[in-house]
Amino acid sequence: MKNQNIKYAVLAALLAGAPLYSCTDLNEQVYSEVLGSSYQPTEKDLPAIVAPVYSSLRSLMLGWQGYFDLQEEAADAIITPVRPNGWDDGGTYRRMHQHTWTALQWQPENAWRQAFASITTVNRVLSQIEDGDLPIANAKEATIAELRAVRAFAYYLLLDNHGNVPIVTDFKDVALPKQSTRKEVYNFVVKELTESLPNLSENAATTYGQMNKWGAKTLLAKIYLNAQVYTGTPEWAKAIQEADDVIKSGKYVLDANYSDVFTWTNFNSKEIIFAIPYDEIYGTGNQIHMKTLDPLSRSVYPMNAGPWGGNCAVPQFIDTYDAADTRLADTWIMGPQKSAATGAVVITYNKAVPGMDRTTVQDGFRIGKYKIKPNATGSLDNDFPFLRYADVLMIKAEALLRTGKAAEAAELVTQVRQRAFKGNPAKATVTAADLAKGSRYNYGYQATDGSITERQGGDDIQFGRLLDELGWEFAAEAHRRQDLIRFGVYETKKWFNHRPASAQRALFPIPQNEIDKNPNLDQNPGY
Amino acid sequence: MKRPLSRLIRELHRFCLIAAAVACFLTENALALAADRQISGKVVSAEDKNPLPGVTIIVKGKNTVGTATDTEGKFKLEVPEGSTLILSYIGYVSQEVAVGNQSEVNVELAPDQKQLQEVVVIGYGTQKKGDITSSVASIKREDFVQGTVRDAAQLVQGKVAGLRITTPSGSPTSNTQINLRGINSIEGTANPLILIDGIPGGLNTVAPEDIESVDVLKDGSAAAIYGTRATGGVILITTRKNRGTSRSTIEYSNYVNIQTIARRPELLTGDDYRQKIKEGIDYTDYGGNTDWLSEIMQKPVSHNHNLTFFGGNSTTNLTGSVNYRNWEGIFLRSGQNRFTGRADLNHSMFNNKLKTNLQLINRITRSNGAVSPANDDAAYGYAYRQAIIRNPTDRVIGDNGKWQERDGYFYENPVSLLNESNFESSFKEMRMAGSLDYAPIDDLNFKLLVSNVQNSNLEGGSTTFNHTSTRLGNQNATAFRNTYANNENLLELTGNYSKTIGKHRFSVLGGYSWQDATYEAFAANNWDFPTDTYDWNNLGAGGALQRGQAGMSSTKNKWQLAGFFGRLTYSLNDKYLFMASVRREGSSRFGVNNQWGTFPAASIGWRISKERFMGGVGANSDIKLRAGIGVTGTIANNPYMSQISYNFDRGQGAFIGGKWVPGFVPARNFNPDLRWEKKEEYNAGVDFGFMKNRINGSIDFYSRKVKDLLYNFPVPVPPYLTGSMFINAGVMQNKGVEVLLNIMPIQTGDFQWNTGFTYSTNRNKLVTLSNDQFQAANDFFDAGYTGEPIQVSTHRVKVGEPIGRFFVWKSVGVDDKGAWLIENKDGEVIPIADATPEDRQYYGNGIPKHIVGWNNNIRYKQFDLAVNMRGAFGFDILNFQSMFYSNPRNKAYNMLKNAYDPIDGKVLNTDLVYVSHYIEKGDYWKIDNVTFGYTLPANTIKGLKNARIFVSGLNLATITGYTGIDPEGVTFTGFSPGSDYRDKYPTTRTFTAGLSVTF
Repeated sequence: MKNQNIKYAVLAALLAGAPLYSCTDLNEQVYSEVLGSSYQPTEKDLPAIVAPVYSSLRSLMLGWQGYFDLQEEAADAIITPVRPNGWDDGGTYRRMHQHTWTALQWQPENAWRQAFASITTVNRVLSQIEDGDLPIANAKEATIAELRAVRAFAYYLLLDNHGNVPIVTDFKDVALPKQSTRKEVYNFVVKELTESLPNLSENAATTYGQMNKWGAKTLLAKIYLNAQVYTGTPEWAKAIQEADDVIKSGKYVLDANYSDVFTWTNFNSKEIIFAIPYDEIYGTGNQIHMKTLDPLSRSVYPMNAGPWGGNCAVPQFIDTYDAADTRLADTWIMGPQKSAATGAVVITYNKAVPGMDRTTVQDGFRIGKYKIKPNATGSLDNDFPFLRYADVLMIKAEALLRTGKAAEAAELVTQVRQRAFKGNPAKATVTAADLAKGSRYNYGYQATDGSITERQGGDDIQFGRLLDELGWEFAAEAHRRQDLIRFGVYETKKWFNHRPASAQRALFPIPQNEIDKNPNLDQNPGY
Repeated sequence: MKRPLSRLIRELHRFCLIAAAVACFLTENALALAADRQISGKVVSAEDKNPLPGVTIIVKGKNTVGTATDTEGKFKLEVPEGSTLILSYIGYVSQEVAVGNQSEVNVELAPDQKQLQEVVVIGYGTQKKGDITSSVASIKREDFVQGTVRDAAQLVQGKVAGLRITTPSGSPTSNTQINLRGINSIEGTANPLILIDGIPGGLNTVAPEDIESVDVLKDGSAAAIYGTRATGGVILITTRKNRGTSRSTIEYSNYVNIQTIARRPELLTGDDYRQKIKEGIDYTDYGGNTDWLSEIMQKPVSHNHNLTFFGGNSTTNLTGSVNYRNWEGIFLRSGQNRFTGRADLNHSMFNNKLKTNLQLINRITRSNGAVSPANDDAAYGYAYRQAIIRNPTDRVIGDNGKWQERDGYFYENPVSLLNESNFESSFKEMRMAGSLDYAPIDDLNFKLLVSNVQNSNLEGGSTTFNHTSTRLGNQNATAFRNTYANNENLLELTGNYSKTIGKHRFSVLGGYSWQDATYEAFAANNWDFPTDTYDWNNLGAGGALQRGQAGMSSTKNKWQLAGFFGRLTYSLNDKYLFMASVRREGSSRFGVNNQWGTFPAASIGWRISKERFMGGVGANSDIKLRAGIGVTGTIANNPYMSQISYNFDRGQGAFIGGKWVPGFVPARNFNPDLRWEKKEEYNAGVDFGFMKNRINGSIDFYSRKVKDLLYNFPVPVPPYLTGSMFINAGVMQNKGVEVLLNIMPIQTGDFQWNTGFTYSTNRNKLVTLSNDQFQAANDFFDAGYTGEPIQVSTHRVKVGEPIGRFFVWKSVGVDDKGAWLIENKDGEVIPIADATPEDRQYYGNGIPKHIVGWNNNIRYKQFDLAVNMRGAFGFDILNFQSMFYSNPRNKAYNMLKNAYDPIDGKVLNTDLVYVSHYIEKGDYWKIDNVTFGYTLPANTIKGLKNARIFVSGLNLATITGYTGIDPEGVTFTGFSPGSDYRDKYPTTRTFTAGLSVTF
């Protein structure tokens, strides 16, 4: 009997243990994420919900091998040659320069991914608004318009770079997207921007870093300026119309000093229409200084981070500048660099660059447009001005010039030049005759001693002088590739170690990885 | 058929003895003449009274006098007066018999239960070795690898066929790298489940000295009872227990070791620099001659102490152990000390009907030095890189008495790196387990096992004003503090009924298991301190966190796992064996619709040697054929993978409405359908033992297929939110053969030689990488990374191909200018300048085709010698050291001496690039562990039961054509196997001396 008692006691003990654990309760408790099923966003969350639409633009623009590199390294002003630290990265920079990239080139893929990240986020938020998941009472129309304008902006980047991309607007449609033609993408972007305009904010002061009406109009002007490239049909009049609307609004002016547009406090600029804001804490990713400077420059500012060093100016491009043009010094870091602490020269940047595969640390002028604040970290505070008032004036000038109104165009170009020739105002003036000239750029292949072989020059470029003006004003602003294409230079001229590779390099390839993921995509011609 | 075979075996046995005897006779024949009295006798088995032929009989103290029994178990021998005979026979316990004045000596030898009835630990119980029907390896304490042993895995290194164990890092804090039967998962856990006395733990949970046996469940039919955690195999570690009725013993052991780098890279010296400058090469001469590698290395002395005691009586007993280990590394300020204590209490009542066990394990691991052991290889590896590339004409300390620093791209004084940063961590773990085992009637018992494991880690790190982070980055000293805590509960309830009815023997097991674990972590860092004297002990004094420049984070997650399981074993006549098991298991990490999975297994065995048609083979031999099938699963590694959830993410914030706001973003592409990864495995094998197990081993063939592979699938954006999505897609396959062979070529009273071979080969294939939803995706993914300034991936995993292949530009030579010539995608030779990514091709594989181990244990009188060797063949290694440092292009950095050696008659004059030239054959044969010991004769010292001293060498010699440091110092798990990275903690050679005593 005693044994029996023990048996029951033990069994009771065993059973008592079991209920401590709820036998099969496998609900996952979520602690450090916000559950979709239990979290109801309110109107105060609206900025946070909209933010990711813009945040991907930061890495898109100035991220590692991002859009900036894509626009500049494929063009004739900036190169990333191999430095003595051996930074060749499997020849990726050489391929950018020589237009020998393939569908596996990372830079175009990066631009594609980041642009579609914004597009998808817009579609997601739009769908949430439509479903009433986001209770927006007052700002609904304006929010929708802004989101559509940002989506159009991302599509503009794809239109310009990849051309034939899928247009996706329905977040809930999970079918693999179909490809659209460049013409269809063009029409889509124009339609979206035009339809958004009425509901976009006209307040320039409260919408810094966001798409407002003027940003949308400037973007439209830019798209119309390139319409011939995109569709075969020029739209000069429409470009002038949109530019005029921005000019007449009186919301923007040229900043007194060229450098004010690019310095680390440039959120105060009255010239910037659409910026991609950066911040060394909240919005990191402006690494222009890290990529361009040699490590020895660290003590000059001084900086909290060691730069990688880096890209630099093509000597032939530097040779086009007028010596009196203050934009030369405002754009490029040149000559001896002194330590902030000791005053000793730590490095001297020279104009000459022997070639893509052979340099010293001193070779080439460095990008200095985005002023480096003392104690800068690896991420600059300087916002990236994507659209600014000078753009509006120059777009209008070019459209006028191309429609036979050279004199009016010259006035606008002169207006932009004036702050660059404060010490020599006479030189600021450009005439209609000037604008009829070719380019000063000494196109041709550069030998290692700096001499130009296989010389082509720039005399034969129609309105080449305006192309030069665009180069001086917008150097290192990710403009150059588009401008070279519009002026017919991109696929015809030689510069530095670049020879024309193919007539079909104006569009980047559809990234192979994207084709692999979506069989609906066909490769662009020439790849 | 049978007679000649068994006779041959007997003859062979006798021949060995005679050969040994003749050898002895020739050297010491004088002694043999001293024999003066003839005796005779018969030796039979105590079990069945059958005569035992071939029993070795020698006279104690006179090893040259001996004979062996004949086929009828009889013998005759001339012995001196007052002799004692020693009788030994494989499979039986050796016995000593005093002759006295008898002329006839009849002896019964008892079978050695350990060998014939050896018990193997399997899931939720044990089984006799003879009854096992699946692939299980069991290594007992006496067969463990000796000397300096890093962790539990190294105890069985090279002894389990198919379980590859290497030591890829020389850091005193790092573990061994283990892999069983190939790579079986992409995103899930691929490591084996490690159970310490049934409770999940790690290779370091208990000290190696405290381990009784290591059992490895290799195939699916064995492991399936552990369901979802068992795809990587199960390693069952059994701690030492007081198994005797009244053993009362104290054991103490220790060892001391020193280490040196396994192979030192030969760099250009300061004098080489000056010579090169004379030859017109553009180097900078600072006038000195510094051996930077020596500057960052120390001469480490490590020691280890272990005390174990057993006590108690037949109803209550205890085992206690304390282990202290203090290991230093070859790099300055690297080391770790560890304290592990364990108490194991057993009490039984009511005639053994109720047994209780209480076990406590407490361990504390402290590291202090320059950097965190968590990123040992990265942090010390970076200092190692700096020591290699630093100008050898430069000085450690400059004129001003401070570190000599120079500006340069990733160019920092390695000695300052290690001296100006500090780190301290303490990891504490407390494991408590209790069990009640109640047997109400014979053959039936119930067991309740409850355990709680709590561990926590607290660490701090800092850099001083003189560290490069301040000198170059103006950070004014940095500091961080990280902590985490884990709490894991386990409850298991099992019932077991086993019964023998005539020829039928069966057992039934049923059980329930619950496991939950909660993980919490917090981390903060700061910089810009007014003083660097605080280290990490006053984080608030820094300025950066307040300005938003430094970081702070915390996280928490919890998972639960519930399972029901059962197992049936059946044996007919000890000849036909059957086992079936099933586990139904659910995990909180999967979506509601897919939480539960079923994992069945079945296996059969046939002891063919017991069949009549095999004749009497069974008397001396045992042959068992077996086959099994089993299904196991793999859980997703990370929590929340099936949840629809969002995060407020500052990194995805933007400037909205005039201020910076965080972004509200989806945490991932949602996949509530996420489910188990399932592995199906077929295993067929044979276990054999011949000549009374003197030759024994096993051969296994397996084929395993992992379905519903968890994979972070690349998906298009749109329609998806982010570019990859965690889904079940694809099938992975591994097939292989494993061979284990143990032979005891010599066994006499004084001289014994055991030798064991293991061989394994595995063929891996990624069968598919798609599912119904995602068929159009890439049929490959890239893996591995060179690091700057090359920055490309190194491997590609492709559907239909094995894992581990390098994907590279194939170099075929060097042109006149010193630039690589490569083979393009059309097979043409082109200069590397024209190469595009499309020209890359598959080249070699980082996973060995053949793994071989050969272990020898030799005992002669009081001396013992163990020699463990192993090798791997048929694989390639990407030699990063050569890729980065055997190229003379960059004169800003130092390099290997061979950088100027011509390739194809030309010295390289090209940028660093990843080409196939740097992928070398990795084949090697390593004489890894040689241990020589001496055991004091019994009762030499009163009160001392046993004493042994030993010296041991680890990683002694490697025969290989590979030019890097160590062909074993590379990764072989993951998707970029065979990468001998640039930044590493190089492997070492270790020399150890130690002693152990038992009171």
